[in-house]
Amino acid sequence: MSEWEIAVNRAINNNVPKVFQILNKYPYILELAKKLREAKLQVLSNPEKYIEETINSVKRIGGNAYFVRDANEAREVISKIVGSGKKVVMGKSMVAYEIGLRKYLQSIGNEVWETDLGEFLIQLADEPPSHILAPAVHMTKERIAKLIREKLHVDVDVNSSHEELVAKVREFLREKFIKADVGITGANAVAADTGSVILVENEGNIRMSSVLPTVHIAVAGVEKIVPTFYDALTEATVQAAFAGLYPPTYINVSSGPSSTGDIEMKRVSPAHGPKEFHLVIVDNGRIEISRDEVLKETLLCIRCGRCHMHCPVYRVEGVDWGDPPYTGPMGAMWSYAVYRDTKPAMYCMHSGNCKEVCPMKINIPRVLERIKAIGNGSIRDGDGYGKK
Amino acid sequence: MLGKIILQNLEKHDFPYNIDKKICSGWANDLPKGGETILFTSCMHQTASLSDTFSRTIPLAEKVPSLSVFAKLIKPNKEQLERSYKVLRNIASLLKKNGVNFGYLYEEEPYSGAILLELGYLNEFGIHAERVTKFLKEKGVKRIITVDPHTHNALNRYNEFTKFDIEVVNYLELVKDAKIKTDVSFVIHDSCLYSRFLGLRDVYRQILTNAGGKIVEDLMVTSKEVSYCCGSPIKPVNHELGEKVAKSRVEQLKKLSENILVVCPMCYANLSKYHNKIYDLAEVVE
Repeated sequence: MSEWEIAVNRAINNNVPKVFQILNKYPYILELAKKLREAKLQVLSNPEKYIEETINSVKRIGGNAYFVRDANEAREVISKIVGSGKKVVMGKSMVAYEIGLRKYLQSIGNEVWETDLGEFLIQLADEPPSHILAPAVHMTKERIAKLIREKLHVDVDVNSSHEELVAKVREFLREKFIKADVGITGANAVAADTGSVILVENEGNIRMSSVLPTVHIAVAGVEKIVPTFYDALTEATVQAAFAGLYPPTYINVSSGPSSTGDIEMKRVSPAHGPKEFHLVIVDNGRIEISRDEVLKETLLCIRCGRCHMHCPVYRVEGVDWGDPPYTGPMGAMWSYAVYRDTKPAMYCMHSGNCKEVCPMKINIPRVLERIKAIGNGSIRDGDGYGKK
Repeated sequence: MLGKIILQNLEKHDFPYNIDKKICSGWANDLPKGGETILFTSCMHQTASLSDTFSRTIPLAEKVPSLSVFAKLIKPNKEQLERSYKVLRNIASLLKKNGVNFGYLYEEEPYSGAILLELGYLNEFGIHAERVTKFLKEKGVKRIITVDPHTHNALNRYNEFTKFDIEVVNYLELVKDAKIKTDVSFVIHDSCLYSRFLGLRDVYRQILTNAGGKIVEDLMVTSKEVSYCCGSPIKPVNHELGEKVAKSRVEQLKKLSENILVVCPMCYANLSKYHNKIYDLAEVVE
C-alpha cells in the first residue's frame, strides 16, 4: 500500500464511524443542519444586502470591515494592516490559502507561522494541503516524526507517539503566540446582524491567535455570512459534528476588538485582547456563482470535509485531485467557484456518496455535472439546463 | 468535441460507437415486436464488456476521431456475449413469471444517451433525448421497463430536456416473486445509481431475501453512505483510476464474502477483471 492509502484508510476508520455515532447520539444536529441550509440560502439570494449589513455591524462594534473582489485586492488590504517586519500567527483558513496570504506576507518581510497543527506540518513540508479539515491527512505519523525532527531539530523518531509529536509542536508554537504582533484567522461563520465572527477549534491555537496579538484580522469568503448570530452558532455546531469532532473543544466568538464594561458599566475598548479587529470579506468569484441555480449550491458547503472520506476518487487519487486547498468532491466544486477550473469536476464518477453524507444536502454530483458541461463547452456558464 | 463525435455516432449507428445492432437483439427471439410496454436494454448488458476498449479510446478520439474505436466496427467476444444474453433471458423470464407482458424493439431499440450525460455533455444529451422521445412516441410506447441503472437514470432525466411522458419502471420493481438458485451467501456491490440516485437499493435486497438468499452487510463496506463505485464511469476520463477503484472495491467486498452480487452490467464488467465469483442478480434467482 502507498503512504497515501495507509494514511487515508487510518483516517477513514477513525472518522467515518465517529460521525455516524455523533449523529445518532445528538439527533438535534440534523434539525440544525436543515435550518442552516435555509439560512444560508437566504443570504445567497441577495449576497450584496448581507455584505452591506455585515460591514455596518462590524463598524458598529468598533471593528473595520472590507469587501474585496479578488485575491490581489485581499492581499493588498491585509498587507496594509500588517505592514512588514512583523510576527504573524495564523489560524487555519482556506480563504487565506486561496489568496496566497502566508507566502505573500512572508515575501514582504514578515515572519509568519501557521498554528493549526495540520497546517503547520504543511508549512514545514512546503506542500499543499490534502484535506479541508486535516490538511496533513496524507502524511503518516512516521513521516510527520521525520519532518518535525528535521525541521525543528527536536528529539523524536518513527516510534514517537502521537502525543509526543503534538507536545513538541506545542513547545515550539507557544513562543510564537506570545511574541506575535498580528493574528490572522478565518471564520466558520460571520453573523450579519451583529458583525461577529465564529470560529470552531479543538487545539486552542485560534483563541491564542485571535486574542494574544494586538491586531486580529479575520478573513472570510462571502458564503460564510449568515443572517444572524444564532445562525452563526448553528453553523459552528453543525460543522463540528459533521467533521466528527463533537463537542468541539472550543467555539470562539469575536465581536470587534476586546472591550470591558467594568468601570461604571461603560463599554471601553481595548481591554486585554486585541486593540484592532478587521474583517476582510472575499468575493473571488463567489457572487457570480450565486446567480446560477445549480452552481450556487457550492456556496452552501460548510467545509466539514465529510464528503472526502466517502468519495472513491478522493480515496484513490487523494492529494492530486482538486486545486489546493480545495481537494476532494467539495474541492472539485470550489476549484471552479474560485479558480474557474473545470478539470477537477471531470473526475467525478457520480458515485453519489458525497450527497448522501453532506450536511447541507448539496447534490455535489449534479453541481459537478454542470461544471463538466461548462468545461466540455457543451453549455456556457450562465446557460440554463436544456430545453423543456 | 467528444460530445459531438458521440452524438454523430448516435445518429449514424444508433450507438455511441460502431457496433452491429444484431448483437444487441441476439438474446431475444420469442418476444413480440414493439407494443405499448417494452423491455428496454439500451444494449448495455450486451456491450458492457466493450466499455474497456471504448474508454481506452476516448482520449484518442478527441484528437484523431478517424483512428478510433468510434469508426471501426467492434464486437464483444462470444463468451461475454452469451453470458449477457443469459442474464437478459433470465430477466425476461422473471418478468413473465411475475405476470408482466411486454414487447421489445429488437434492432430498432435506441440507445439512452447515458454516456453523454455521464461525461457532462448536457446539451448533446438533450438533443439525443428529444430524438429518442420522438421515436418512442411514433412507436406508440407508453411504458418502458429498464434492466440496467444507467439507462434508467438517463431516461429519468429526459424530462429536464424535453417533454417526456412515457412511464419508466425498472424490472426490479416488477419482480415480486423469485427463487434463489444457490445456498451461498452474497455480499452486494450496489450500483451507485440504483442505490443513491434511483431509490432501488432496498428493492433488490428484498427480492433476494424473499427468494431465500443470504446477504452479508457491513457499515463500512455495503452501507448506502460508505459503499462505493466500481470505477467504471471514470474510465473514459482516466482509465488507470477506474482500474484502481475497481481493484480496491473488490478487496473490500472479498473481506465479507467470496461471492459478490451486482445489479449493473458495467459493475460486472469492471469488477470481474479482479475476481471470478461475481454474479448478476438475474443469474442467481429464477
